Amino acid sequence: MNPDASDQPATPAVRASSGVDVVIAEDSRIQAKMLIRRLTEAGHIVRWGETGADALALVRERRPDIIVSDIEMPVMTGYEFCKAVKTDAALRTLPFILLSTLADPIDIIRGLDAGADNYVTKPYEPEFLLGRIQSLLATPLDGAESDAEAATLEVTLAGQQFRVKAGRQQVLNLLVSTFENAVAKNQELVVANGDLSVARDNLQRTNAELTELNDRISQINAQMVRDLEAAAKVQQSLLPAAHVTLPSTHVAWRYVPCHSLAGDFLNVFPLDDEHAGLFVVDVSGHGVPSSLMAVTVGRFLTPKVSDQSLLVRQGADGRVAIVRPAEVATQLNRLFQADEFSGLYFTILYGVLHLPTGRLDYVSGGHPALVRVPVGGTPEFYPVEGFPIAFVPDVEYDQQTLQLAPGDRIYLYSDGVPEAMDKDRQQLGDEALAGVLASTRARPLEESVGELLQRVEDWCRPIGPLDDVSILGVEWRP
Amino acid sequence: MDQYRRIQTAKKGDIHIVLFKDKKILDDTVLDEIKTEINRLMGNASGPDMLLDFSNVEFMSSAMLGLLGQLHRKVGAGKGRLKMCGIRPEIFQVFKLTNLDKLFKIYPDAPAGLAAFEA
Repeated sequence: MNPDASDQPATPAVRASSGVDVVIAEDSRIQAKMLIRRLTEAGHIVRWGETGADALALVRERRPDIIVSDIEMPVMTGYEFCKAVKTDAALRTLPFILLSTLADPIDIIRGLDAGADNYVTKPYEPEFLLGRIQSLLATPLDGAESDAEAATLEVTLAGQQFRVKAGRQQVLNLLVSTFENAVAKNQELVVANGDLSVARDNLQRTNAELTELNDRISQINAQMVRDLEAAAKVQQSLLPAAHVTLPSTHVAWRYVPCHSLAGDFLNVFPLDDEHAGLFVVDVSGHGVPSSLMAVTVGRFLTPKVSDQSLLVRQGADGRVAIVRPAEVATQLNRLFQADEFSGLYFTILYGVLHLPTGRLDYVSGGHPALVRVPVGGTPEFYPVEGFPIAFVPDVEYDQQTLQLAPGDRIYLYSDGVPEAMDKDRQQLGDEALAGVLASTRARPLEESVGELLQRVEDWCRPIGPLDDVSILGVEWRP
Repeated sequence: MDQYRRIQTAKKGDIHIVLFKDKKILDDTVLDEIKTEINRLMGNASGPDMLLDFSNVEFMSSAMLGLLGQLHRKVGAGKGRLKMCGIRPEIFQVFKLTNLDKLFKIYPDAPAGLAAFEA
């Protein structure tokens, strides 16, 4: 049967052989529909009134076998509807079930006073209501029990006295129904309680698993922190000593990685008695992949003669031969063939300074310009053409030569300096960089480099630099 | 049809036009997604012609250059041509600082970039 057809309150339905005629009063359409469907499925004929008044009209139109009514309804409440039926001599023997939320014990008194025979508490299992209907029809109300026989009962509830007029059979029925409700609710509670203990057991088990997982994550995390610290230490080994001493030169440097592991590194060291090598390298990106590449690159940029070193090799005469900077860059590019997986590349500025003469040979692989600051002069930028290393396969790099005058300073730095961003993402820029280097020219080199780093850090407030910052300053004093 | 999160794609003849949607290409997650999406776009096609449009991009990390380098090699390996356009001055600085403005073919806008394929 199409439940929608039951939407029409007065639509008569075909009576099934075992079915009875039920009138329901329910103002909630959804609840009414559910009830109608269940009752219809059980073979009953159902007529539905949306208010107590509507339902009463249906009852008067044709006497049903039983009435099921909600309590809270507009126009006529369930109590009023019940009272109207029970005070009608022709209808008073009709079994009347009130659907109550029973939020308040007074509801029972009100029901008694209204003459209700039966309560079913909401929410109810449809089966329970169907069972109740069957049992009520099996024990019909004693039609002989007249209004006059109904005793006036006095009930005290919550300090309030109620006078209720109710018949014996009615009271009995109501008591039994209340008891049955309590039993049904109790059973539900027992089931719910069982579910709860199952849920509690599950929760305890899940909790134990979570704790175990958490412990494992902590262990893994501790291991990772140890690994990172170890990697950071390896990276530190790529840096020069705190105070580098070279003949005829002053050296100052600053290195501030933006994470524990950086892509930047720099160094300055003697290559032989007359030459110093110096470089700043900046591997793209940050974190573990970049720092791993930095460490790998660093192993090739060592001043110790070895199979690995690209900077020096054993000459035919047994002396150390210094490799030209251009060849160093070309070799690096050959070694670090474009890495298709990571897309990592690096920029480098590498120079070889001849200490007795101040001649600087240098090469740039896509690195920011070298800056020279003469004594009392303005900073000069020396941009160099040359692609970043590991960017274009098989290119030859060219080198430049810069003749330093006594007292000249040169600065190498990573792009973290000119591209340092303030909170509005404005870059520090070359002009500010030149400004600091000019204004600190009269002060010691150490202070000049320190001041430049300070400038970068001030610029990046309050977030701090988002890129590694490397600065290497060299002053030639023959 | 919008099957990509980071890029918007169009085709003119055999030329793939890739417009970056992001204003900022700074963090690794965005970069990885762009890389994945471009790789998906290229599929197995060897070296298609490609025009990258940067007109939405206001900030770009140097790590993005690494991706462009990969693309440059991949497209070049298949005898395709890679061109770029719509690069604003701030972004152009990133290219200039690394000399990559000399490696990549860069045009003012998409029409100019597309016209360059005809030449």
